[in-house]
Amino acid sequence: MRAGGDVATPPTVGLLGRIVNGRSSVALLIVPILLYLAVFFLYPAINLLFFSVLTQDAKGVIGQPFTLEHYAKFFDVGLYMRVFWNTLRISLVTSIFAILLGYPVAIVMVRSGPRIARAITLIVIAPLIVSVVVRSYGWQLILANSRTGLLNWMLMSLGITEAPLSILYSEMAVVIGSLHVFFPMMVLPLASALGKIDPNLEASARTLGAPWWKVFWRITLPLSVPGLVAGFTLVFSLTAGSFVTPVILGGTSATMLGNLIEQQIFVVYNWPFGAAIAVVLVFVVFGINTLSMRLLEGRRFRSIA
Amino acid sequence: MTPRLTGVGAWLLYTITVLMMAFILAPLVVIVAMSVSDSYFVTFPPQGFTLRWYGQILQDRDFLEALRLSSLLAFGATAGALLLGVPAAIALTRGNFAGQALLKGLVLSPLIFPALVTGLALMQLLARFGWGDARINLLIGHIVVTSPYVIRSVTTSLMLIDINLEDAARTLGASRLRTFWRVTLPQIAPGVAAGALFAFMVSFDNYPVTMWLANSQYSPVPLVLMRQLVNVFDPSVPAMSTVIIILAVIGVLILERLVGLRRAAAM
Repeated sequence: MRAGGDVATPPTVGLLGRIVNGRSSVALLIVPILLYLAVFFLYPAINLLFFSVLTQDAKGVIGQPFTLEHYAKFFDVGLYMRVFWNTLRISLVTSIFAILLGYPVAIVMVRSGPRIARAITLIVIAPLIVSVVVRSYGWQLILANSRTGLLNWMLMSLGITEAPLSILYSEMAVVIGSLHVFFPMMVLPLASALGKIDPNLEASARTLGAPWWKVFWRITLPLSVPGLVAGFTLVFSLTAGSFVTPVILGGTSATMLGNLIEQQIFVVYNWPFGAAIAVVLVFVVFGINTLSMRLLEGRRFRSIA
Repeated sequence: MTPRLTGVGAWLLYTITVLMMAFILAPLVVIVAMSVSDSYFVTFPPQGFTLRWYGQILQDRDFLEALRLSSLLAFGATAGALLLGVPAAIALTRGNFAGQALLKGLVLSPLIFPALVTGLALMQLLARFGWGDARINLLIGHIVVTSPYVIRSVTTSLMLIDINLEDAARTLGASRLRTFWRVTLPQIAPGVAAGALFAFMVSFDNYPVTMWLANSQYSPVPLVLMRQLVNVFDPSVPAMSTVIIILAVIGVLILERLVGLRRAAAM
């Protein structure tokens, strides 16, 4: 029997054993994508890092000597630092709102009958697929600063405000737009984590007389932390790296790192500086990812101890 | 049986949920409403009813050309993502080799890496080695960002099916390829289809990678829309946006039919 031989092969030991055992040919199937990503993803990314420490002379020629001046400039100039803090603040505030509003939606989604659960899933997912440009544009129509915006038209028709509010082209508008764009990224991991909790745990806590908020605080929340951390990481990272929403809703008053990069490359043509800001953005995103991982690992360790 | 939500807590949960549903749908509903408003400027309340903006976009060469380019690009990127992603998913779930977790992290990393930086880095590389055709460059970039979606959903599907069926087929003398084609693929088909649909939609909608690799001759839909929105005043933007919303709704319905939304969401 030639075929099926590897099914009965006893587990081989050691690295060499693993490489030569029967299932090794299956492992080769990963080679094409590794080559592809090495050439079109990893190499360009490393190249960008290299680019960020090169000098650009007055004529725009880029080359050696190596320098850290672009990073120094970024962290010295108030304007750039403001964009940096804008990015962190907008991403953090968006993530916090996503958590506060995502929990109720995820709980109702998981704990309702099939029809309601299905309707909520459909509404949460559908916009995920609609272009970010389109969704931000929708918010522009709602938040427009004169009485031609839907929100101001409603508020003024109802007599709640006398004069139109100015929400568009502010950080608040960017937070609202980003919350809309990335909300599914919080709800879906939360719902999946909540779905894994044994409902009997909550039921017995209720039976023993715990009020709803205590059940949430002592049982639901701790058990759903993996989903919470995954959602937070996704929303924070995606918001920090966004470009479209700040342009459409933030105008010039809520510029983020992505907009700064685009501006340095396409408007100022300062490629090494643009590359340096891109590296800073990558570090922000990876920092949040590492922090989240630590948090999850620390928690697992504590629960074992 | 899941316990029914009751009491003050439940009231709070349902109120927030209903408000969030309204929040999610609001901008989409507003766009659709404005797309049939018979006024040159976008104002509230919408005035009159007209389909002339739809007539206008049917004659808008830029928009139609962008739709064609975006569709072709999304098809190409999906094909590429499937060709590279499906084998990778099989290797990751059925193979047994050192560094598997690390490699899985690596092939999924374009998901967390800021897409804006992925696009910029690729542009810099392509600029250095001579530009070539913008359409090819876009295709290369889109495959990088869409392949993780295929890998993720196919990996999930592969982990859910019974591996004994494959072993049984192999024991009965079927070759690896035949086993895959006749036993594995029919079972993971919904996962492959969902991955493909995700890849298609991600490519169709991609802005952060596209913005670096497109040029004035080849601009996909998101770029054309953004240009109309930011640089020129164009009253047919709500109609263009509505077309995109309708395409997305069709995509969601297909996804629902193929795998069911709950499973698609879990992927």
